[in-house]
Amino acid sequence: MKTSRSARTSPAPLLEVHLDSWLREFGPRGNEKIGADSVDQLLDVLEERYPRLRFKIRDETGALRRYVRVFVDGEDVSVTTGLTTSLTHARAIDILHSIAGG
Amino acid sequence: MERNDRIRILLGTRKGTYVVEGDRKRRTWKVGPAAHEGSEVYHVVADPRHPGDLYAAVNNAFWGPQVQRSRNWGKTWQEIATPLTPRRKDRQPLVNDKDPTTPVPRALNNLWHIEPGLPSEPKTLYLGADPHLLFRTTDLGSSWESIESINDHPAKKDWAPGAGGACLHTILLDPRNSRRLYIGLSAVGTFRSEDGGQTWKPTNKGVEAPFLPNKHPETGQCVHDVVADAANPDTFYRQDHGGMYVSHDRMEKWIRIGKPLGDDFGFSVGSPASAPGKAYFVRLDGMARVTGEGHLQVHEWNDKTRKWRKLLSPTAFPGHFGVQREGIATDNLSPAGIYVGTTTGQLFVSPDAGKTWRLVPFQFPGIHSVSVANPTRGGATR
Repeated sequence: MKTSRSARTSPAPLLEVHLDSWLREFGPRGNEKIGADSVDQLLDVLEERYPRLRFKIRDETGALRRYVRVFVDGEDVSVTTGLTTSLTHARAIDILHSIAGG
Repeated sequence: MERNDRIRILLGTRKGTYVVEGDRKRRTWKVGPAAHEGSEVYHVVADPRHPGDLYAAVNNAFWGPQVQRSRNWGKTWQEIATPLTPRRKDRQPLVNDKDPTTPVPRALNNLWHIEPGLPSEPKTLYLGADPHLLFRTTDLGSSWESIESINDHPAKKDWAPGAGGACLHTILLDPRNSRRLYIGLSAVGTFRSEDGGQTWKPTNKGVEAPFLPNKHPETGQCVHDVVADAANPDTFYRQDHGGMYVSHDRMEKWIRIGKPLGDDFGFSVGSPASAPGKAYFVRLDGMARVTGEGHLQVHEWNDKTRKWRKLLSPTAFPGHFGVQREGIATDNLSPAGIYVGTTTGQLFVSPDAGKTWRLVPFQFPGIHSVSVANPTRGGATR
């Protein structure tokens, strides 16, 4: 059962967060452990720990940037449930840049 | 002030920033390593008040726009504060195709132009960005102030983007009066402020808008680039979508000068400090957006004789070259240096006011912008 943050009585389980090598320039050099109920909340925590990540993954309106891809347990949620994706039962999240450019 | 004997050409390209260092005769050039690799860099400029300081408008396709600064002529760079789109509840949406009652927040898109302030304001910089945004910092980029008179302009909902976006790409300061500013916005036109950016007057009288039913609206002209005459800050040269123009009265009215050239389309114009009354344009085919004559050609406008002069022989550099809105720069030496960067990555240099031309022997990525860090005092001109 999915649990909202307000109803939760225990801390969210820690997920393993993987950033690609380009994003590591602005954030953690290795994998990071973060507990969060949604992708949006996870990014809030990540940006609080690593302020240089602010506005790199999400723009100032809060939207995911066009060429950023978020995978939850291997599933690309970028253009489906996006930032609202529940992480209640997730174990790992990958934040990568997409195939683009020329 | 620190002495600096070298001249440097600063390039913003499709794939990063380059600093190209010249010898005293401007005959040989040394290309430094690329910075901001993989990012679109729309403008790089030297701050003449702080020799060694460079600023770059870096637009990364993945991570968004960043203002970057170097304090050592481009050897190393650091991200500094980047302004954000000012968000207000009463902001009118620029795009609102879902619910006309709900403002649509819109993020900062590309950064287009960074303009150092006057010597009397040593910590002031201006920044032009998309969507039609103007910012000012008075602490060298630690924080940015939104110029609400433009960023929340009451007519903004009617301002459309040009092909390059809703860019505010031209910022000019009157060296005699820090309260007087000029700006140029794609598909909107030029404006002048006499009160430090609190209010703005459209200044497009005489400029044709061939793409609109009303050919002479107050705003809506697609200005591509404007430079001031070095000897007379009331005189400006303008490359517009609708032709080449000059104004002698602080942009109150514009006079079309490009008609003798036939198609007087183009994107960029330069006017060197040592050649007052002269402006340099690269005429492009209005449809193809490349040099239509089949070779690179730079046209010199002499504002005293009101005559044009072609500077290059047709056999010098054959080909179809594109030149973008920041693609022409001039230095402050005598004779004037003229620098032309192309969308296919060539950098052409004339060290003698257009008499002779050379191609810098390096294939750059497509060049968005060219500017000069001048020798002796480290100044910058465009």
